[in-house]
Amino acid sequence: MNRLEAATMAPAGAALPEPKVIRFLGARRAYWRLLVRGAVLLMTTLGIYRFWLMTDVRRFLWSNTEIAGDNLEYTGTPLELLLGFLIAIAILIPIYAGLFLVALDLGTLGQLSGLIGFAALFLLGQYAIYRARRYRLTRTIFRGLRFHQAGSAWGYAFRAIAWWIITVLSGGLAYPFQLASLERFKMRHTFYGDLAGHFAGSGLRLFLRGLPMWFLVVAPLALAVGAFIDVVDWNALGEALSQGGDDILARIEGSNPALAGVLVFAMLMAGVTGSAAALLYPAFQAVVLRWWTSGLRFGTIEMRSRLRMRDVYGAYMRFLWYGVLFAIAAGIAAIPALLMVGALTGGEEASQTGEIAATGVLLVGYVVIALGFSTIYRATVLLSLWQLGMESLQLSGLTALDTVRAGGRPSSALGEGLADALNVGGY
Amino acid sequence: MPGGRDGLNAMTSGTGIFFDGLTSARHEAVVALGASALQIAGGDGRLLAEWPYDAIEALAAPGQVLRLRRRGNPTLERLDIRDSRLAAAIDARAVRVDRSGGLQHRQRLGVIGWTLAATASLLLVAWFGVPAIADRLAPLVPGGIERKLGDAIDLQVRGLLDRDKKGAAFECGRAATEQPGRAALDRLVQRLEAAAELRLPLRVSIVRRPEANAIALPGAQIYVFRGLVEKADTADEVAGVIAHEIGHIAHRDGTKSVIEAGGLSLLFGMLLGDFVGGGAVVVAARTALKSSYSREVERAADAYGVNLMNRAGGDARALGTMLTKIGGATEPGMTVLADHPDTRARVTAIDAMAAQRPAPPLLDARGWTALKRICAG
Repeated sequence: MNRLEAATMAPAGAALPEPKVIRFLGARRAYWRLLVRGAVLLMTTLGIYRFWLMTDVRRFLWSNTEIAGDNLEYTGTPLELLLGFLIAIAILIPIYAGLFLVALDLGTLGQLSGLIGFAALFLLGQYAIYRARRYRLTRTIFRGLRFHQAGSAWGYAFRAIAWWIITVLSGGLAYPFQLASLERFKMRHTFYGDLAGHFAGSGLRLFLRGLPMWFLVVAPLALAVGAFIDVVDWNALGEALSQGGDDILARIEGSNPALAGVLVFAMLMAGVTGSAAALLYPAFQAVVLRWWTSGLRFGTIEMRSRLRMRDVYGAYMRFLWYGVLFAIAAGIAAIPALLMVGALTGGEEASQTGEIAATGVLLVGYVVIALGFSTIYRATVLLSLWQLGMESLQLSGLTALDTVRAGGRPSSALGEGLADALNVGGY
Repeated sequence: MPGGRDGLNAMTSGTGIFFDGLTSARHEAVVALGASALQIAGGDGRLLAEWPYDAIEALAAPGQVLRLRRRGNPTLERLDIRDSRLAAAIDARAVRVDRSGGLQHRQRLGVIGWTLAATASLLLVAWFGVPAIADRLAPLVPGGIERKLGDAIDLQVRGLLDRDKKGAAFECGRAATEQPGRAALDRLVQRLEAAAELRLPLRVSIVRRPEANAIALPGAQIYVFRGLVEKADTADEVAGVIAHEIGHIAHRDGTKSVIEAGGLSLLFGMLLGDFVGGGAVVVAARTALKSSYSREVERAADAYGVNLMNRAGGDARALGTMLTKIGGATEPGMTVLADHPDTRARVTAIDAMAAQRPAPPLLDARGWTALKRICAG
């Protein structure tokens, strides 16, 4: 891809592979079994089982990750997550009720209610992300010591909101600097025992690596918009729109004869942008993952990632492959289901129970398909990213690991609960 | 494995890796199987920890490792055993350690059973509880709040329905040529309202929508679509549909459905979580639930409408005539079921309740002609 990647890949190919400091020992088959069983139970329990599934998944990933000969350990429990969720509900219900009352107001407050609600929940979501990270860290044990995280979650939330606004205004160009800044904040407050972490990744470096991709995605779109502004005669269009009468389309065309051509061009360019974004997404993820893990530091322990982009593409290819297989299977299974729906709703004597049953069949079908794809995604892309991200890491300064002292206390699962209720959860 | 059993009994000690929870140092430990406790000693023979067998728990670890801790221990002491024979010996002595997974399996079955029970009770509450609560709560909502709620919903409904951007007002009866129609409509509504005795003043408008429908919103707001007026042959047919909608208002059906929707989205939206992009499921579940009791609601509104027409001195059978014409779809979005047994049954029920006497039309011929032209604009 470029010089940097070639430089890191050359020794791996030339010399004998050195023993990996981090190994992932989990068997794919066991992970599939765990996820499929979890998906079935999620469906039959309307999602209540997710606290148990989430804990199983983390236990599997953590305990099968071996760093310098010792395994990580996840000590969180499903009941903690459930409690965190209940606390989150207790906090969110009054907020939702308040937002509902604001929406009933007919003045400017009511008009702004959507914006107020979005801003409040977005802020709370960022707060939840930071608190959830604290929960996960304090439940992560390595060699008998826990990780922990200090720092104010509100401080993080306001910082994150400010950065999101800048990123959106800059058309995504500020995103690398946002990631770097927020990661510095997180890692500055992260500890393994008494060993303080920090983040050494540079936003500028990620920016330069990401810039070509940004151009490939944004340039066609910019071209389309540019062509629009260039070609369309806005005054004539404005007049055409303000005139009375029936045939608006004809009037628009009369005012701007070139409009049809520009529209076709714009649609073509939007297609180019869409496919470029889809094709480049794995590359983007690989770049960010390698940049991120390479910047993590704990005391004198340094990390360096040798993640290869083609491995990440391999993970996505596996997802596509299983996804296609699943889609075919679902398509075949859908035929009798749709026939059943037709029989239940069609005909003269369609009964009320028949209609409800048909809705039920469609509902179950939707849930099966959605859960199926999310399970495949977890078992292919997410698992591979975890494994690749971990195994591609080289650690130096490991002697520091032998003298770390305990520190930190377990935190509550409130953040996890909020993140769950607000749909901003992670692993 | 008889041989293994012998070895197990003979075994009294082995090695493991011990972490004391205070520092990250690895301690190569000698693990001795005492009479009632596991004794963990350092390389120098100093006793590091002594764990009673009944307090030992196993933690998640890769296949070849048995990772142990002492239950309820606030410091994170850990013991890793990689020697499979020693692991088997500990497994045999510690009741909470079960490497076959049987113990965990039983616990998990309990969890699954209870979550299924919780799901069942949730569905029952959604099916029976939420509508019942909405039924009882809706009459308690004060008129002022109902009006406010209605106005807020009105904004949304207008946004959805008012698709005509050509500049004509959404409501008919504003332009000078339409004024006589508006006056005729007011006379018609007045007769119905006098007989209905509602707690809020009624607001009825004909609106520019091509469909033959009508809707009632909380706060006593009724919109009759112009398509319905065009399809009607007598003033009583329009009056019948308005009477049916007044039924919805008298029964507070709009407020009820708002409470129901809020309750259901709270119930499902929060519990479903983000594994399945919950929103679509909630919407589908809500429609599935709604269609089951919306029929009862429609029939109740029919009954009220017939009763009201009887009291106002109109021809209640006109509602049935109109229903047949529009295929039972009194509300927007309802499926048109012209020959459907449901619609036929509704018409039969209406005819049975209607007063069997010839009634003069609710509007005179001039009034009816004016009403027909209310959207002529």
